[in-house]
Amino acid sequence: MDNLDDPNRVWPTGLTIKESEALHRHVIDGARVFFAISVFAHLLAYIYSPWLK
Amino acid sequence: MNSISQKAMRAWVGLGPRFLPFADAASAEVPLSRLLRLSLVQVSVGMSLVLMVGTLNRVMIVELGISAGLVATMIALPVLFAPFRALIGQSSDTHVSVLGWKRVPFLFNGTMVQFGGLALMPFALLVLSGGGAAKDYPVWIGQAAAALSFLLVGAGVHTTQTVVLALATDLTSEDRRPKVVGLMYVMLLVGTIASALIFGHLLEEFTPGRLIQVIQGTAVVTITLNGIALWKQESLKRMTAAELAAPQPSFRDSVRRYMQGEAARRRLVAVGLGTMAFGMQDVLLEPYGGEILGLSVADTTKLTAALAGGGLIGFAAASHVLSRGADAFTMAGLGTLVGILGFAGVIAAAPAGSPMLFAAGVIVIGAGGGLFGHGTLTAAMNYAPEGQAGLALGAWGAIQATAAGLGIAVGGLLRDAAMSIGALEGLGAARGYMIVYATEIVLLLATFAAMSSLFRPAGNQSTRG
Repeated sequence: MDNLDDPNRVWPTGLTIKESEALHRHVIDGARVFFAISVFAHLLAYIYSPWLK
Repeated sequence: MNSISQKAMRAWVGLGPRFLPFADAASAEVPLSRLLRLSLVQVSVGMSLVLMVGTLNRVMIVELGISAGLVATMIALPVLFAPFRALIGQSSDTHVSVLGWKRVPFLFNGTMVQFGGLALMPFALLVLSGGGAAKDYPVWIGQAAAALSFLLVGAGVHTTQTVVLALATDLTSEDRRPKVVGLMYVMLLVGTIASALIFGHLLEEFTPGRLIQVIQGTAVVTITLNGIALWKQESLKRMTAAELAAPQPSFRDSVRRYMQGEAARRRLVAVGLGTMAFGMQDVLLEPYGGEILGLSVADTTKLTAALAGGGLIGFAAASHVLSRGADAFTMAGLGTLVGILGFAGVIAAAPAGSPMLFAAGVIVIGAGGGLFGHGTLTAAMNYAPEGQAGLALGAWGAIQATAAGLGIAVGGLLRDAAMSIGALEGLGAARGYMIVYATEIVLLLATFAAMSSLFRPAGNQSTRG
């Protein structure tokens, strides 16, 4: 694998490592938000009907 | 960086640019298809609004048996978030990212928040109604969860709408903005009307399971539409280290600079007064038709359609006139005059006992509101100072949404107050409505007066001479 250390290298996408990191951060943030929402939604669903019983 | 992140990074950089959400290098003119795609955000905004204000309003009271006061509080919560539109707009103006993005991150986050609110909402409402096993838990859980979900949806709607209007301003030149504004308004109306019909149909046989399906389905549609809308809208702008490190103006500084602009304060006052004037009759329309003119439920529902139809006529006329070079503010002023005419017709309908006159008045009010809304939004875009499109559109939206919410509340309160103190006894049950409609005429006159110094002769800026 090529090294990931050269900060100025433009990869085939047209992105540098720093730029793809910024993009990646949005994906990760999105995943975190989804996770938090699903935990809370499950909690509320449990309160209404404990595992559909 | 841990190894999983590193693998993911390699995947990102290995993908072709076709699969990345960046626009192609900026072209001279953004194609209509791209603007049409951008306006899909308005459809999801309309969907969320109609769900909260219309569909769930009824479902919570009738099917879930939640008290009307609590329901009204929940519905009012998103309006509290409206003033933050200015802050959101300003943050997006000054957002710094290595990708050079300003609007897309906010659009993405706003969409996530809106999705989150909608995903939680059905469970929150079911717990709030105390159904199932929820009655064994303290009441505040349901109240807090429902309040949270309404706030999240409201925050999402305010964020995405502000940023999408700012992005539309960035993408278009002055001569094309009237068309874009028309498109944005029409898409909002389309989203509202279509989803009202679909929600009504889907919830005809109400079950808790169906409620969950409908609201969470809305969440999925929202994230899909907004995803399609934001895809490849902003291009990758490589930032230099100096640009990344440059200090950004604070909110206070930005507002001060914005307020120094051409009659900024006067324009915002006009937007607030006018929107409130047009908004006060929103919730009174159907009761007035039913109570005073004795129309059936089916007929009063048609009134709402007539108002929307009038709005469409207004938007179409505004787009046409403005794209031929008329001044946006002059046209908005004309909209207030049209509105006065409409309200006069509605007032005259009660003593005349004429539903036809009433319907005509409602259509004229809709058209006036359309002209006014279109004109002020186009003006907000065109007068936005360089680099402050987000703040300009945020301020417009903050005033507009707050005034609309206030207008609805004031309209209802004013009618009830007029009824209880027994003003204008001679007019019978109509007097409460009369006072509201008369107030709206006065407000529209005030709006016209506030705007009149901003009018410019037509053809000042472009083609028409």
